[in-house]
Amino acid sequence: MRSHMKFAVPVVVAALALSACGTRGEEPGAGSTGGDGAKKTVKIGVIAPLSGDLSALGKGIQHSVELAVQQANAANAIPGWEIKVEAVDDEGKADVGKNGATKLAADDDVAGVVGNLNSSVSQQTQPVFAAANIVQVSPANTGPSLTRGADGNTRPYKTFFRTCTTDITQGAFAAKFLLDQGIKKVATIHDKKTYGQGLVQYFTEAFKAGGGEVVVAQTINPDESNYAPVVSKVAPAKPEAVYYGGEYPQAGPLSQQMKAAGLNVPLMGGDGIYDPTFIQLAGATSEGDFATSVGEPTDATEAGKKFLAEYEAAKFAEPSAAYGGYSYDAANAIIEGLKVALKDASDVKSARQAIVDAVGQVSFAGVTGQVAFDEFGDTKVKVISGYKVEGGKWTFVKSENLG
Amino acid sequence: MSTSTDIETTYADDAEKVSLWDRIGRPVAPFAWPMVLAGAVILAAGCFLSWSYTDEVLGDLSIDFYPGAVQNLMIIAAVLAVIFALMYRGPFSRLGEWLASATALRVLGLGTTVFMALVIALIGVQAGGLVNVMPGAWISFVGAVLILLGAAGLTPRASKDPLHAHLPSWLEILTIVALLAIVLFGAAYVLDIEDGTVFSLVVLFTGLVAFTLTRAGFFTWVGIIAQTHRRVLMLGAVAVAFLFPFTQDGSDANMSIATQVLIFASTALGLNIVVGLAGLLDLGYIAFLGAGAYVGAMFSHSAFATIGWKPNFLLVVIFGALVSATLGLIIGSPTLRVSGDYLAIVTLAFGEIFRLAMGNLDGQDGPRLTNGPNGIPAIPDLEIGSFNFGETHEVFGITLGRFANYYFLLLVVAAIIITVFTRLNNSRIGRGWIAIREDEKAAEAMGVNTFGLKLFAFAGGAFLAGMAGTIKAHHDVSVTPDQYIFLESAFLLAAVVLGGMGTVAGVLIGATILKLMPEKLRFVADYRLLIFGLLLVLMMRFRPEGLVASKRRQLEFHEEDEELADRVEEVHLVEEQEAKA
Amino acid sequence: MTDLLQQLVNGLTLGSLYALIAVGYTVVYGIVQLINFAHGEVFMIGAFGALATWTLLFQGTTALWVLPIMILGAVVASVTVAVVMERIAYRPLRGAPRLAPLITAIGISVALQEAVRLFYPGAKSKIPFPQIDVVTGPALSFAGVTVQRAAVFTVGALLMSAALLWWFVNHTRTGHGMQAVSEDKDTARLMGVNVDRIIVIAFALGAFLAAIAGVAQGLLNANVDFRMGFLAGLKAFTAAVLGGIGNIQGAVVGGLVLGVAEALAVGFIPGQFGGSAWKDVWAFALLIIVLVFRPQGILGARVVDRA
Repeated sequence: MRSHMKFAVPVVVAALALSACGTRGEEPGAGSTGGDGAKKTVKIGVIAPLSGDLSALGKGIQHSVELAVQQANAANAIPGWEIKVEAVDDEGKADVGKNGATKLAADDDVAGVVGNLNSSVSQQTQPVFAAANIVQVSPANTGPSLTRGADGNTRPYKTFFRTCTTDITQGAFAAKFLLDQGIKKVATIHDKKTYGQGLVQYFTEAFKAGGGEVVVAQTINPDESNYAPVVSKVAPAKPEAVYYGGEYPQAGPLSQQMKAAGLNVPLMGGDGIYDPTFIQLAGATSEGDFATSVGEPTDATEAGKKFLAEYEAAKFAEPSAAYGGYSYDAANAIIEGLKVALKDASDVKSARQAIVDAVGQVSFAGVTGQVAFDEFGDTKVKVISGYKVEGGKWTFVKSENLG
Repeated sequence: MSTSTDIETTYADDAEKVSLWDRIGRPVAPFAWPMVLAGAVILAAGCFLSWSYTDEVLGDLSIDFYPGAVQNLMIIAAVLAVIFALMYRGPFSRLGEWLASATALRVLGLGTTVFMALVIALIGVQAGGLVNVMPGAWISFVGAVLILLGAAGLTPRASKDPLHAHLPSWLEILTIVALLAIVLFGAAYVLDIEDGTVFSLVVLFTGLVAFTLTRAGFFTWVGIIAQTHRRVLMLGAVAVAFLFPFTQDGSDANMSIATQVLIFASTALGLNIVVGLAGLLDLGYIAFLGAGAYVGAMFSHSAFATIGWKPNFLLVVIFGALVSATLGLIIGSPTLRVSGDYLAIVTLAFGEIFRLAMGNLDGQDGPRLTNGPNGIPAIPDLEIGSFNFGETHEVFGITLGRFANYYFLLLVVAAIIITVFTRLNNSRIGRGWIAIREDEKAAEAMGVNTFGLKLFAFAGGAFLAGMAGTIKAHHDVSVTPDQYIFLESAFLLAAVVLGGMGTVAGVLIGATILKLMPEKLRFVADYRLLIFGLLLVLMMRFRPEGLVASKRRQLEFHEEDEELADRVEEVHLVEEQEAKA
Repeated sequence: MTDLLQQLVNGLTLGSLYALIAVGYTVVYGIVQLINFAHGEVFMIGAFGALATWTLLFQGTTALWVLPIMILGAVVASVTVAVVMERIAYRPLRGAPRLAPLITAIGISVALQEAVRLFYPGAKSKIPFPQIDVVTGPALSFAGVTVQRAAVFTVGALLMSAALLWWFVNHTRTGHGMQAVSEDKDTARLMGVNVDRIIVIAFALGAFLAAIAGVAQGLLNANVDFRMGFLAGLKAFTAAVLGGIGNIQGAVVGGLVLGVAEALAVGFIPGQFGGSAWKDVWAFALLIIVLVFRPQGILGARVVDRA
């Protein structure tokens, strides 16, 4: 495998360089028969935050897709076709994301897209890709309504799939996790955003169903950095733990301020707080806080270790980050779909519907488990892991498949 | 007190500059004119040779006798230089009496020299070393320097005031049409450039040409003929805007940017009534656009919409505009007692309250209207009659995509807003606003209903922004509170300030610059806000009246400029005479 | 009762922060009639100055003795930025139409935030602020009311700064000069007061207090963030107006009143429109009401014809 890789990289570079020549006067990429003549071009788009605060995650997504594509090209996965990656920046912003999606959708060679990172951005790019019938596989969107609609039971866009599980599973796991430790009285706080609110909602449902009691429910304004008023409201109810729906920039200070104000109970959150920065921001008193994250730790499985080793070998500038495995699987899901749909196709544009259908039917062993989608486009793998802060680090506690 | 010293220093600078030009120019004065011509020819000749060894920088400049984009620009510059030189002496010398050809050539010479130096530096940096610069580029550089030196040797002459140039009107109309055509195809061409560096170079060059022509006095004349043939100009501008999607060859990528520019510009025009005409600083203006957008979203067919009633879209537009106007009345009401900086702060506070309230009304903190920070997503495309805005249509063999559909609708809205704006500006109401802006107490003493007019400015501006907002909701597909933060209000204000307060063209240009630049210049994306902040500071320091200043406004910022005052007076007199005749 | 006391403590802490920043608005306004909209960023720069001092010199140390040096670092950073800002952005605009300085201020505000975000290492997200012994750590408890240690520091810093400021304005030559300039700039100049110098001092004085506030907020929240200046600045401006802009005692009173009002709104406005979600709305509503109905503020402004 590795020897293929060494060969593949220069070939891709050379092909890119060749196709860049002599293009003056003709639209770049206009003809699908460009460059080396014999092979037709099919593109897999990546749309993720490649600049700004979240660029570390976005770059990891981009490179993981590039790795999958390099491997597919080296193995000549789709005879007669050369796969290319077209990466577009969404800055983590809805408006920018929509422009990027439009740009990808306007390119007749794009067969599928991996992205976005943020659910709020996907909300805006979904309709753009749906209108062009381009399959979109997100490696990181955990917001349930993206696949299940406003009422939780209607799939809004047939072109949207995801390789990560949703907040419904995460909330349920967290509730069980706390109840198993004998914690029955919990306070919930969330930041009112899609992600945090959803997480708290699903947690609360599961926690009450399991016999627990939510003694107080509060919200914070994510622009704020002083949570003393909220802590003062929560403390008198004497909860045994605080469940927080939101991300680490708020969760870290909240944990710190909670404990500085004398509320010495653990804080628990979802994958949004499972980040080393949480511990930095929360300081020494974060010891004993919990978090959940989707899937098993990448380095805990054989497939994951293999992926990390290959990623390392490809010498990308940035690490694969939190969603690398999911992005690699997402790209491979599209490639699997292309194998079926492009077999007899003359050009990409006319094959798009077939690609969407084919991606819906894939089933293969990926980095994060068996990759396959249900009728909503959600992954069938519903593995969640629990983590705890110990010695200033997140340490793995246990994982469970709730599928 | 400091304004006067500013003026003096600018005069002093001018005097010094002239002497510097002359000092350089004196030795070459005898052969200055042939030198300019020779320079232009050499500049153009260099463009037909290869500039760069590799084909990967600035598009591709490595082919002989096949000029690339950047080389074409320099050919245009050379042609301009020849034309101006022939105006100075030769067949076009009659034209030269009207245009300041020597001054223009100096600007052009300096500009092309800097431009060429920049190109050579860019090739050097991007290709890794000056070795990669081919002789063609050096030849062109020498040509540019020759133009510069030659122009220094020419003697600037006083030109006649274009106000008294009476050309046949067919010629004037033809000029307008030609200029508009240039704008149309120029825009299509510029938007098609993928390479960020080439894009910046083209924009830089456009600025250089515009500045050259301004210094030549060309645009003063254009301004005057635009006044006399206003109808033609308006019709032409509408035609250009209407034809733009047809230059896009079915691609929706640029149309998506164009629609955002239109939404932004429409809102900025509304703000321009409040800030530019009535002189009331509003720092929370984005709330009006937001109010319209939320109304549009709540009454839409989205599964997340919070109101069960789904009226006709036309009703929604009017309703959104009315809600927005009501907000405008509420925000405007403190103007009875508050003015100046305090008013600005009141509007800022209102803007923040709007954003916070929209983020709170989710059923938990207040009634469920907006779904809180999640907003209202999945708003379906508009459908007016049987026309669905989400579908593509074929017109004259050119595919018009989703954004092109919205573009046409927004164009109508923008046209309405511009019409309202200009009508108001030239009416009793507009004069009332200007009176308030200049001296509120005096205006009141003269019997102007200041409170009523101020309220009307707020409500009117808000009405227009609300209208644009209802369309924005469908265009954007989702409405969330974080689209309506303070920074957006600041951007709107910047569009007005940058372009020129109180003018339509200025605001359109300002809005285009602010929305287009970040899309095209991805490499500065991260530094965008920093540049924006510094730009505001620099604009206030050096050109507070904006890029396209209304003359009257300019006078307010430069009160001691007698020449300008006379000029404003004169134009006014001529206008009056024409009105009588 | 405990609840009320607890919210009062929260309110006074927050109010002390607002008051420290508000003095900067008021001093500058009293002298040049300029709303230095970028003052919130001066506060933010102070917090980052303290953090930078700690990171460069004392990384890992949490002893109390580093605190004064951190404060010094904060003051140097804030004062430098404020003075440079006055010199290159505001001074050339003196005498220009009202709109110009306000728009300049918005520009400076955005530019400073972005400069910190782009060029301070790690500032793209929140950065943890060092926890210093004695002034941070386990909360103190009095009869069921918990008081954060950093809160005690904040209130103490306000008291001390206010006393120093009062002494400076009333008992030094420069202080008298400031009073003279705020009364009548031209007469003061005729009397031999160096007006430009006084204006610079006013900016520096405001920056000094804002820097202390920056350190206090860092200790309280245990993190700093390039965005922290915007909302804090706006609230502090509200406090300054509330107390009567141009009036130094007023700024202190205004800050405390605003802080307490906010905390009480969180604790005691019942139903859906209460709680921390709406507290900023109530604060801004208070700002509008004061501006409209009592623009001279609680204690009366020195300059009233502006409203």
